[in-house]
Amino acid sequence: MNVQIILAGIGGQGVLFSSRLFSELGLQLGLNVMGSETHGMSQRGGSVIAHLKLGQFQSPLVRRGTADILYSFEKNETYRTLKFLREGGLCFTNQESGEGFDNKVLSYLKKKNIAILAYDATAAALKSGSILATNIGLIGYSVGTGLVPFKHKDLTKVLELTSKKKNLALNLRAFELGFREGKLSQRS
Amino acid sequence: MKIDQKKEVRVLLGNVAIARGIVEAGCQVVTSYPGTPSSEIIPAVVGFKKELGLNTYIEWSTNEKVAFDNALAASMAGKRAAVAMKQVGLNVASDSLLSSAYTGVIGGLVIISCDDPGPQSSQTEQDSRFLAMFAKVPVYDPSTPQEAKEMVKEAFKLSEKFQVPVLLRPTIRVSHAKQNVKLFPPEILDRPADFKKNPERWAATPRYRLILHAKLNKALQGIQERFEQDTKWNYEIRKKGSSALGIISCSASFAALMDIQEELNLKEPIDILKIGTPYPLPQKKVEEFIQKHQKVLVIEETDSVIEYQIIDKSKVLGRLTGHVPLESELVPDIIYDILADVLREMGLAELEKSADAKLDKLIENLELPVRRPTLCAGCPERAAFFAIKRALPRAIYPSDIGCYTLGLNLKAVDTVLDMGAGITLASGFYQAYHQDHKDIPIVATMGDSTFYHSGTASLLNAVYNRARFILVLLDNEITAMTGMQPTPGTGIMADGSRGRKVPLEALIKGCGVRWIKTIDPYEVKNFIKLLKEARKYTQSARGGIAVIIARHPCIIKYPEELEEYRIKVEINDECNGCNYCLDFFECPALLLNEEENRVEIDRKFCVDCGVCISACPRGAIIPVED
Repeated sequence: MNVQIILAGIGGQGVLFSSRLFSELGLQLGLNVMGSETHGMSQRGGSVIAHLKLGQFQSPLVRRGTADILYSFEKNETYRTLKFLREGGLCFTNQESGEGFDNKVLSYLKKKNIAILAYDATAAALKSGSILATNIGLIGYSVGTGLVPFKHKDLTKVLELTSKKKNLALNLRAFELGFREGKLSQRS
Repeated sequence: MKIDQKKEVRVLLGNVAIARGIVEAGCQVVTSYPGTPSSEIIPAVVGFKKELGLNTYIEWSTNEKVAFDNALAASMAGKRAAVAMKQVGLNVASDSLLSSAYTGVIGGLVIISCDDPGPQSSQTEQDSRFLAMFAKVPVYDPSTPQEAKEMVKEAFKLSEKFQVPVLLRPTIRVSHAKQNVKLFPPEILDRPADFKKNPERWAATPRYRLILHAKLNKALQGIQERFEQDTKWNYEIRKKGSSALGIISCSASFAALMDIQEELNLKEPIDILKIGTPYPLPQKKVEEFIQKHQKVLVIEETDSVIEYQIIDKSKVLGRLTGHVPLESELVPDIIYDILADVLREMGLAELEKSADAKLDKLIENLELPVRRPTLCAGCPERAAFFAIKRALPRAIYPSDIGCYTLGLNLKAVDTVLDMGAGITLASGFYQAYHQDHKDIPIVATMGDSTFYHSGTASLLNAVYNRARFILVLLDNEITAMTGMQPTPGTGIMADGSRGRKVPLEALIKGCGVRWIKTIDPYEVKNFIKLLKEARKYTQSARGGIAVIIARHPCIIKYPEELEEYRIKVEINDECNGCNYCLDFFECPALLLNEEENRVEIDRKFCVDCGVCISACPRGAIIPVED
């Protein structure tokens, strides 16, 4: 399996933790892991983006137009990072209630067969106990849809391995909630 | 000693892989001054030391030259030593680098200098390999974290065999890449310190220096021959036959190129010569490769170290022929476009451009808000800059390198040159105006770690030469920007144990400053008053340099400190949307509600520091009554 993932958000939204989660998943599945993170000045309140490539890759950076999956925890960061997706790629974006997406962008993406899968992961996280689990909610949702090549049991195992003790229960709750809603979204 | 014998695989950050390489090589002394993208190396060495029960000596040094010399001495005493820094740090250590290339080493000495093309977090895009070449020091140039780890070990061996320091040059995409990396147990070297006196070498006078220079040249010849033979770091990748175009590449660019070649699936795959040792360049290997191809493209970061060393450039395409950009990072998109242009030029293939112009246009039309880097909500440095701007609005503000560079956003930073220049530019400005009999206010700002790094020599000089200005030392009791490394002011050492505290006050007094005051910048009104007093002192007959230590701990490192201050604020109807607080206080927790034309507090960011109460000219920001 070769998968290229982009994770985007703003400082504090858990982009780096999500990247660790998928790295660990890669390791568990016996895949090569290659990725890149933002540190230093650009971390101070700005956009945070992580590139992650599982499989046969050498470079840690995803070239534009080649990512399979984009996870974005904030709307503007979604717009900024859409360029990384390949034709037929998947975009899982956090969409807080009341937010909409630009129609022109949406119809253009449709032509490129890029699906925008919006989910209110912030609400799911708050329901699970803390806004800090927004990232995990969105990831759970994606697994629930069955559109991504990751399994429920593998991700919960990896969550157990990587979460801080005090966050584990919260993360698992947010993951399950997202997962269930992801599953439902594909039935309707 | 308990050593982990089993081989295992972990996903490691490039810098952590480098740290692991240092440990696996049996290196006993590791020194560094923090700087992006090198800062994670030292904490990782500390981690491995603790995990494996090693006896490694590890220090955060006060600057890169100090770090270099401390590591060098260990090597002169026969031990393996490593020193890590960012690329501009190598400038600071360059005096030692050049001299030690002549005097050489005994135990292996590996210098790790992390480059920052882009630049993401630096003042220049300089290529450390050039500085190594200037110093006549051999270079290893890794493409991935795994390779970086193995190269560190090889570099120690080479350094010992030829008795020269060796440089490892990871770029940010190696240092901050992560990869699954194979771990091996560390080599245990039983090497007690044993410095053998040899004044003709270690204290060489110019006459002996000439001899040492000849020795160094001879060593470089030997190293070059070794690099010619080497197939581990320097090798050709060829799928079938021979392509018309060949590419010579190295570092992270090589890795990107390999992925692009895989995606492209060209009918005629391009031959690639990977160079892992760009200096001294294995010339024969390179020449043979060039001979086999119609044209050869050189793709390397950050500058053209390989390209310049190629003797016959008639078939070579690169920066010198305008095929590769002269600045910026060679991210995969750019490498792809370079390749597309060259393939088209040679009539070999037609590739689409990397960018989707239509999508770019659609996104551009959305006019997304630009997120510039900003000081954190509650940052004491914001409070200090606000007070400085209020007290002396027409001053010149020389500043320095650190989080507080972001004082730019508050319009209270006029210059950022390099480490320590906040003070030297302040004294320089003073002298330039004073010569014309002009008295202008100058307020220099500098952080605690930067002052320990290179402030004392500058301040000493300013005092000695009778300069007059205000220096505000922003003491947040940590090196915040690079990831919370301790300073001599905290007295905590790299491994967390206690060192000896060196208070700022004592140092400043030692530099000859007679007016030193300390204040908490959260007390904005008192701070403004104190700045005005300081200004008077710089103008008085017997006055001089006034130093204010603005001391308040970094709220990210020490969040518990906020408890003491917690003042919840709200904005009342007096707010008329004048934007003063947004422009001059610039807290990420203050937002303009454009519909109602008033400022609101974003509770997601607000930490209840209460400092913004002083930032509203209409008094509309008020404490919430409980």
